[in-house]
Amino acid sequence: MGHQYKAIQWNGNKVVYDLYLFAFVALFVGVFMVVGLRPHDSGHTADPVVLAIRALGTAAFALLTVVLAIGPLARMNKRFLTLLYNRRHLGVATFLVASAHFGLALLWYHGGGPLNPFVSLFVSNPLYDSIPGFPFETLGFAAFLIMMAMAATSHDFWLNNLSAPVWKALHMLIYPAYALLVMHIVLGALMTEKSMVYPIMTAVAFIGVSGLHLIAGLREWGADSGMKALKAKGWIDVCAPDDIAENRAVITPLPKGDRVAIFRYDGRISAVTNACRHQNGPLGEGRVVDGCITCPWHGWQYRPDDGVSPPPFTEKISTYNVRIEAGRVMLDPKPNKPGTRVEPALIPVAGGAS
Amino acid sequence: MSVRKGVIDPAKIDAQEMFIGWAKAPAVDRRFLLGALPLGLIAGGGASWLIASELDDPGAGAWLTNATHKVTGALVSAPYPMLRVSDPPAPFGMRTVLVVAQGKCTSSLKLADKEGLPVEASGVLIERKDRRMLEVPPFLDDWLNPAFIDMPGAVAALEPVSLGSARLAGTIMDSKCFFGVMRPGRGKTHKACASLCIRGGIPPSFWVRTKDGRESVLLMTDAEGGAMPMDILPLVADAVEAEGEIVRVGDLLQFRADAGAYRRI
Repeated sequence: MGHQYKAIQWNGNKVVYDLYLFAFVALFVGVFMVVGLRPHDSGHTADPVVLAIRALGTAAFALLTVVLAIGPLARMNKRFLTLLYNRRHLGVATFLVASAHFGLALLWYHGGGPLNPFVSLFVSNPLYDSIPGFPFETLGFAAFLIMMAMAATSHDFWLNNLSAPVWKALHMLIYPAYALLVMHIVLGALMTEKSMVYPIMTAVAFIGVSGLHLIAGLREWGADSGMKALKAKGWIDVCAPDDIAENRAVITPLPKGDRVAIFRYDGRISAVTNACRHQNGPLGEGRVVDGCITCPWHGWQYRPDDGVSPPPFTEKISTYNVRIEAGRVMLDPKPNKPGTRVEPALIPVAGGAS
Repeated sequence: MSVRKGVIDPAKIDAQEMFIGWAKAPAVDRRFLLGALPLGLIAGGGASWLIASELDDPGAGAWLTNATHKVTGALVSAPYPMLRVSDPPAPFGMRTVLVVAQGKCTSSLKLADKEGLPVEASGVLIERKDRRMLEVPPFLDDWLNPAFIDMPGAVAALEPVSLGSARLAGTIMDSKCFFGVMRPGRGKTHKACASLCIRGGIPPSFWVRTKDGRESVLLMTDAEGGAMPMDILPLVADAVEAEGEIVRVGDLLQFRADAGAYRRI
């Protein structure tokens, strides 16, 4: 959790994640180089530097496609939360691979000439008024700048200091960056190479990412539509206590569109906002672990009764007043200030009093 | 009424134990990862293999960087630096070796005062089929020495021979990359590099292919046989056509046409 700014807060899962990531990139680039360096029909081999540029660029695009696919996949299947957990390392690794691609391409294609390489990048192909002739390098460079800004601000330090909305808006730029990269490929490699494998694979990647987002979005939209049906005033009758599984929550909408996670644990009921302080993860889809509400995205924790992270952490989320009345869980839709303690509602036991 | 309409119960969607990043992964997630992670490596490696195996043939070019070659011949500075080498068995009894500097700035080579002199040049050879090029260091003292040889008539003084006018369609390449430094040294991904090379004084070549697959590489000059002006840069690496004159100078074919004669097709 936040407020202990270490470069990386390592744990076993992150180590395994990063080792796998390294193996993936090494395998991808290694296979590309070995296969690409075979002699062709002309009896000649491709230039190793050109091949490395292509291998790194392709690897970066593949990684970014995976980065973007993980989000909607995790919405549809909770097993993919294992890949979501350390996605930031995947994003930074993507940027590093893209940096190697960019650096090599800049040196090899634009260096050693009569122009500054960065000037050459923009003027060596002047066909800005042509779609097929458009200088595709500039599109890749724009995407690279976005990825650099995202990688530079990827740490929780920036999340806390830029504020969550600004940070989130900045990191949503990954979608225009992906579109720029698709066009970088379409107007570059796809206009040079003859094989139909390349347009097909690019289309599969783009349509796959778009389709996954569309499907996940439609599911969310369906859920949102149901939740917006709520038009209640005053305390809201949500459900019976037994409708909530032990150490789990139900998520209820509020008239203004917010969502509240109502947890059941140790014979009690507590309610907090559904949005994690970290990255707005859906707390209501989490569990109560070791007495704390635990976010399914990155494992941030909060005490159910006051919404405060356990020491030494200090994050706070809004709590809601909740009570049990005539066997029903009743919720006050007015949020308390983050970190406000609310007495949990006790679930009546058979033959006892609430 | 039990659960209010619109309330979501995540436990009904996923009753499994939850993965928490900082804790030991539940068995269900470990099973998932045991299947997914190898699959990811297979998919990544397979995609990489497919993409690399489908790359176009880079062409018959070679950059022989593992050895220094010495070439002895008559030095020619215009329209582009080159050496005319006596080679009796070769067609026309000679062979032309273009000379370029390391990097992309051949215009830095100042050779005008050595025009026609017999020299020995040392550098790295670049070859594409019967075309040869010598890549030399930027400073003359590092690669150019006088040669005390007699120049055969076939080499010393060559008169251009006009082979007539023709409309040719093809692609403008920078000779250095196309001959073998970049493999592939063509196509749109190489357009900026080719443009930068030609801007730096690397001779442009017109790569012409016939429908039956034959190819010919002609050295491009302006209509008077001089070096091509920079007006040609926007058309580099694109499919173009032009009306011009084909001229043979020794074993070298030139295509003489002003930059304005080229149009994109």
